[in-house]
Amino acid sequence: MQKHHISAVIISILMLAACVVAGVTFLEHRKVEPIVRGPGVTEIVKLSKWYPGLEGTAADTDVYIFKGEAPGGSMLVLGGTHPNEPSGFLSAVLLIENATMASGTLYVIPRANNSGFSHNDPQEGAPTGYHFTLSDGSTRFFRYGSRATNPIHQWPDPDVYVHAASGQTLSGNETRNLNRGYPGRTDGTLTEKACYGITQMILAEKIGLSVDLHEASPEYPVINAIVAHERAMPVASQVVLGLEFSDITIGLEPSPKNLRGLTHRELGDATDTLAVLMETANPSQGRLRGRTDEALALEGKDLYYIKAQQLGRLYVPFDEKGHSIEERVGRHLSALIEFAFAMSSEYPDQPIEINGIPAYDELQQAGLGAYLRPLQ
Amino acid sequence: MPFEFILFIAMVGVFVVCAFAIKLPVSLSMLAASVAGLLVSGNGLGIRHLVEGTFGYVDTILVIATAMIFMRAVQESGALDALNIVIIKRFKSIPALLLPMLMLVAMFPGMITGSSSASVLTAGAVVAPVLILLGLPVAKAGAFIALAGILGMIAPPVNIPAMIIGGGIDMPFVGFELPLLLLTIPPAIVFALVLGLKHVKKVSWEEIAPKLEVETYKRYGPRLFIPILVVATLMVLGKTVPKYFGMGLPLMFLIGAALALFAGKRFNPLVAAKAAVADALPVLGILAGVGMFIQVMTLTGVRGFIVVNALSVPPVMLYVAIAVTIPLFGAVSSFGASSVLGVPFLLALLGKNQIVTAAALSLIASLGDFMPPTALSAIFAAQVVGIKKYSKVLKYLIIPSIVILAWALVFIAYSKQIAALY
Amino acid sequence: MKIIYLTIAAGVLVLTAWNLWTEKDWRKQATAAMVAVPLLLRVLLIK
Repeated sequence: MQKHHISAVIISILMLAACVVAGVTFLEHRKVEPIVRGPGVTEIVKLSKWYPGLEGTAADTDVYIFKGEAPGGSMLVLGGTHPNEPSGFLSAVLLIENATMASGTLYVIPRANNSGFSHNDPQEGAPTGYHFTLSDGSTRFFRYGSRATNPIHQWPDPDVYVHAASGQTLSGNETRNLNRGYPGRTDGTLTEKACYGITQMILAEKIGLSVDLHEASPEYPVINAIVAHERAMPVASQVVLGLEFSDITIGLEPSPKNLRGLTHRELGDATDTLAVLMETANPSQGRLRGRTDEALALEGKDLYYIKAQQLGRLYVPFDEKGHSIEERVGRHLSALIEFAFAMSSEYPDQPIEINGIPAYDELQQAGLGAYLRPLQ
Repeated sequence: MPFEFILFIAMVGVFVVCAFAIKLPVSLSMLAASVAGLLVSGNGLGIRHLVEGTFGYVDTILVIATAMIFMRAVQESGALDALNIVIIKRFKSIPALLLPMLMLVAMFPGMITGSSSASVLTAGAVVAPVLILLGLPVAKAGAFIALAGILGMIAPPVNIPAMIIGGGIDMPFVGFELPLLLLTIPPAIVFALVLGLKHVKKVSWEEIAPKLEVETYKRYGPRLFIPILVVATLMVLGKTVPKYFGMGLPLMFLIGAALALFAGKRFNPLVAAKAAVADALPVLGILAGVGMFIQVMTLTGVRGFIVVNALSVPPVMLYVAIAVTIPLFGAVSSFGASSVLGVPFLLALLGKNQIVTAAALSLIASLGDFMPPTALSAIFAAQVVGIKKYSKVLKYLIIPSIVILAWALVFIAYSKQIAALY
Repeated sequence: MKIIYLTIAAGVLVLTAWNLWTEKDWRKQATAAMVAVPLLLRVLLIK
């Protein structure tokens, strides 16, 4: 064996060791965290029930159904469209573990982009997940995912992503963005198939209101806001007023007609549902953030964002208190309560009455962990 | 002093020591700097972060590797030599046209791959000897192809820095062609003439013909160009009818490389592919290293420290900040500078025409490829023309860099007026 | 298309590994190893 072959062997061993160490973490990331079935959940089905083409794929995902005691209207909550935006996912989890329906039907998809939960975005330094301590002292772990579908499940990206229904073009990596693929299609990518499944479910179940829960980086112009399809505007306006009574300031923006593939545009156009999207402020996904870790994702405190706020670069207030996960989830949940209320008053023959959702102030005081159920 | 600043100094310090004192390649110096950042910040060895960072460039690695295989195949088949003969023959009497033509040839791989290194190492390697034959001093020939590298990287159809910057604000890479052409072609022509015109005036075809390899072109004729034409056609089709031809650059390049096997001189494809990847490895390694470096900077908060400080300058100084920080950061990587600084600066310039501004920022970011210590474009250019010290090439790049900066800043300042032109 | 690209990645991986083995300078070998890491994990469908 020549000298350079010896170094080649040593370097190869080191390389393989690095692959094994990192590979174990990457594989671990695919382990699905349990969500405890709460008292209001009447059925758990797979999205492939509405589009069998998803069966057995990484995009097939759980749909939690809450059938109310009395009949009424229906509402869909999409959490985890972007798995790097924890408040959307966690709001869905709190609904599943706490909510009950007095009237109407609630559908909750906590992991709308199921594949996106199985990896982290490169060069973002994101934590693999975050923990909560529960009232009984036990802990629960949830994964921090990526904005987009895992390339393992959908690869390669084209240079340019062409939105099938409109011909709109976006940079290639948006091909894996669930919220650019609606209304979806059967002969498209895995992401578009997931979009298609959700659209089919809304059509088949005649869902009256669809709410897509998101977060945005504090330097992004659309934040702490509701983006509403034109048909959803009257209901969304009521929600804005209702939230103001609770001292929660939220903006209302019309869904742009020329930005295609997003829930608030396509679900409203392709189905009869009233489509809205909501954003809270998440510094752990922003470009100006300092150290990136679990604490940042949960507490939302960041010195560089405070500095950026002082420089006038942000679209949300930002001070030492940051934007905690309790605040962000609290905003989403309060808005969902208001949406149910607004739908019931707008369509009195189809009431949606949800109970058991933690109130904003309670959540701030007790912490999010207090509303998670211990694993058996 | 913020901890992030100390970390930043530690990472840069380790990089400098490794790259200059220990003379490690840039890729390994980046790896060492990243490990230092992880250790100092209390993240341990952070193997997962090092590995994850490289995935930011896994698609780019495939593009560059396959582009190099394609260019190698085309070169081995004799097509690149033939292309130069055609150009020199046709334009020999009008150097004012010949030089810009050679500039365009040298830019071509960069235009289609979005990589300056691919340009310099492939077409640059063919154009440089011709320039020297025509009478250019060696270092000037090096500067010529180095400039072709970065201008090619920015020129359409593929401009990765602009895609990175646009992606940061949800802006599709659409409508960039014209502003990018305006940003790159006029400087390309001017630089080609300024660098070369006074040297090439007196050269005659009879003088240089014996030094060129004309046999291949005589033997195979225009069919030599089939692979290049097919790849060019596939690229156009990929852009115009992506539904049927959206196969991506790597596959296009491999189709072209396969065709080159039959278009001209015979060569061993495996040996050629291995040599092509060997040529590409330093660049691919730098990409992997940069990926790690950026991941660690983001993880530890160094990225936020840099971005927020760059944004802290008073509005009147914003242009100065852009002109200074983006090329400086580009010393790490022009792609990295695009993502880390290009996006926030674009957000700070929200009142401007976004496409023209992003295009101009991408041009400024490309200057990072001249910035020591990485200075990819300049180092490869020196390597290609056979100069040991790349500072000799760099000397001729200072004034063009200032011109490029000024040109790009004019585009930002008058973005709306420029957008109104087309 | 995924299969084709996995094949391309595997091809580049093999060429990279081949260079790692024949290269005389350990620094260049290590550079090749850095490039091989993401290619290997992608080809194995791990990341």
